[in-house]
Amino acid sequence: MTTTRRQFLGTIGATTALIGAPTILRAQSQPVFRVGALCPVTGSGSPYGSGMQKMIIAAAEAVNAAGGAAGHKIEIVAEDTQTSPQAAVLAAKKLIDVNKVQAILGTWSSGVSLAVVPLTNDANIILMNTSGAPALSTPPANAKGLSYRYQATNDRFGRAFAEIAEKEGFKRPATMAFNNASGIGNTEGFRKAWEAKGGKVVENVVYEPSQPTYRSELQRVLAANPDVIVTGSYLPDTTIIMREWFQSGQPVKWIMPGWAASPDLVKAVGADVLEGVISVDSVSNENAPSYKAYDEAFRKVTGQPGQSNVYAAMTWDMMNVLALAMEAANSTETAAINAKIREIANPEGEKVYTYAAAKEALKKGEINYEGASSILDFDQYGDVTPDFGVFFIEGGKLNRRYVVKI
Amino acid sequence: MEAYLVAIGIIALIYVILSLGLTLQYGLTGLINFGHVGFFAIGAYTSALLAFQGVPLVLCFAAAAVLAGIAAWPIGLVSLRLRDDYFAIVTLGFSEVVRIVITSEKWLTSGVQGLPGVPRLYEELGGFTAQLAVFATILAVTLLGIWMIRRIAGSPFGRLIEAIRDNEEAVQALGKDPARFKIQVLVVGAAFAGIAGAFYAHYITYIVPDQFIPLVTFYVWMAIIMGGVGRVSGAVVGSAILMLFLEGSRFLRDVLPGVSEVDMASVRIGAVGFLLILFIMYRPQGLMGDYTKR
Repeated sequence: MTTTRRQFLGTIGATTALIGAPTILRAQSQPVFRVGALCPVTGSGSPYGSGMQKMIIAAAEAVNAAGGAAGHKIEIVAEDTQTSPQAAVLAAKKLIDVNKVQAILGTWSSGVSLAVVPLTNDANIILMNTSGAPALSTPPANAKGLSYRYQATNDRFGRAFAEIAEKEGFKRPATMAFNNASGIGNTEGFRKAWEAKGGKVVENVVYEPSQPTYRSELQRVLAANPDVIVTGSYLPDTTIIMREWFQSGQPVKWIMPGWAASPDLVKAVGADVLEGVISVDSVSNENAPSYKAYDEAFRKVTGQPGQSNVYAAMTWDMMNVLALAMEAANSTETAAINAKIREIANPEGEKVYTYAAAKEALKKGEINYEGASSILDFDQYGDVTPDFGVFFIEGGKLNRRYVVKI
Repeated sequence: MEAYLVAIGIIALIYVILSLGLTLQYGLTGLINFGHVGFFAIGAYTSALLAFQGVPLVLCFAAAAVLAGIAAWPIGLVSLRLRDDYFAIVTLGFSEVVRIVITSEKWLTSGVQGLPGVPRLYEELGGFTAQLAVFATILAVTLLGIWMIRRIAGSPFGRLIEAIRDNEEAVQALGKDPARFKIQVLVVGAAFAGIAGAFYAHYITYIVPDQFIPLVTFYVWMAIIMGGVGRVSGAVVGSAILMLFLEGSRFLRDVLPGVSEVDMASVRIGAVGFLLILFIMYRPQGLMGDYTKR
């Protein structure tokens, strides 16, 4: 089964031509505004990526159904980041140079967002992400103020943890963090906020991913005799940690991020192990009509409830905010759109929840888009501050006791 | 379109430089190095960290090559005693050690947060001109590398390392010390990876330990196997084919109507895997032929 080099090259050449041909032949003449959807459809972000991408497309369809934005039809060009910075850079280059997109939405992991943001800055287009890393707020990453973040920073999660620990009357907290930017961001944010309140953290432990056991790390934390352990962890490692802690028998309380202490964790280790564990997550703006619109669209496309993917709610909002800013600016120029984003999302103005209604309201005056993911008020860095829901695990159920604002 | 093609060209050339190093080590000498990405990482971090201190970029690149080469020295000493698969395991372990050290030494590398804002080459030119300048520079460095490897392969030294690959005992019987040559080959190959790492860091502008996983090593292996092991032209052609598969598959959408955007991502990766399998089935000796089995 061998082939000569000449035959082989011929085959490759023909295939390339076949794939390349339609791109060249297809002429674009309609007035469209192209937006890149750059989500983690494969790789470690894959549980969220496809939902995120589908919601960008669904929101764009809603915008187009309402007559488009600034007289333009929105066209989505999607690429996969593979949750890898190198693949994402090439995908972003393709979106910018080949597809000529005028904004990129939906980058998920911090590594990808930090690698893509220099490209969008160079091309002078807007980037909207759902990453946690604090470095994205400030120059060099956000030197031009064109980057917007729809997720709470890890730092804000940490501050919420500190509020909760104070409210629950804990005195001797310790931390355990998964060794990546997000895990450490959570516990460092907590430590800073806690020390600012005059408290002291009795032990900080950082652990490596994918270990079969975390017994020695647990022993170090438990030896400091804490009354609560705050974690920056994920589901697989938390499963092991909780099991091994339960075997140790030492009583202690836990505060965890919602993506770790989820119903899946209850399924994995059992309700009695987790009794009283506090799970903290940014809450989607669940009571807002915009959330209802999102939830409906999400169910229609994926057949699952909107709660199953908080990031999809964020990408839904991204498309709406972008289109509203275009409409308000009545322009497709980045600078004009960028100038309007805070105007249409932040207070003062009539509260609006869907694109169609907002477009009408814009004719009358100022608007304030209240998103599905949060109320979406951007600060000077382009960051939002969502509210945090505090859930107690009781009898295997996550019951929301209260909401913390920071 | 041009800027995208230039971007692909730059990444492809980075892989060519990596492949050249591996061609020297495996293709010519027969050292199974599964830890190539470790030297790549050392180069990237060395150059980036020095650039942050305001060191001129030329010196950063030189330091990247030198440090990556030095790091290969202890591995070379190990290779005195280990052959083939054992050596492969040691090098694979080495690349993971490098990654974990980078992750842990936060004071230097800021650990898992990574290093954003690595200065670019030719920043002052701006835009597309800067891209072209980067491309021209890396092309020049690649050509220099190709010339070097060809010179090495054609020299008495080259014939000796090929003899080590083909029959190490015979070389020993002739009174040569294979260990010394193996170390030299490892150091030079690692320096190539270091240079590639420096280009990578200054091009992507953000480096984090997650980028330096063994997958990168195996991309390079794929490239040289597809191109033809033991041939310099194989390293070049193989890297080009790899990039053609990886990037060309993005345009699959235009010929595959009726596949949703989300499914497309998986179809694309599937297509890349399928092409790789077909390639190896119909052209097992690589496009340029396997020099080692002539």
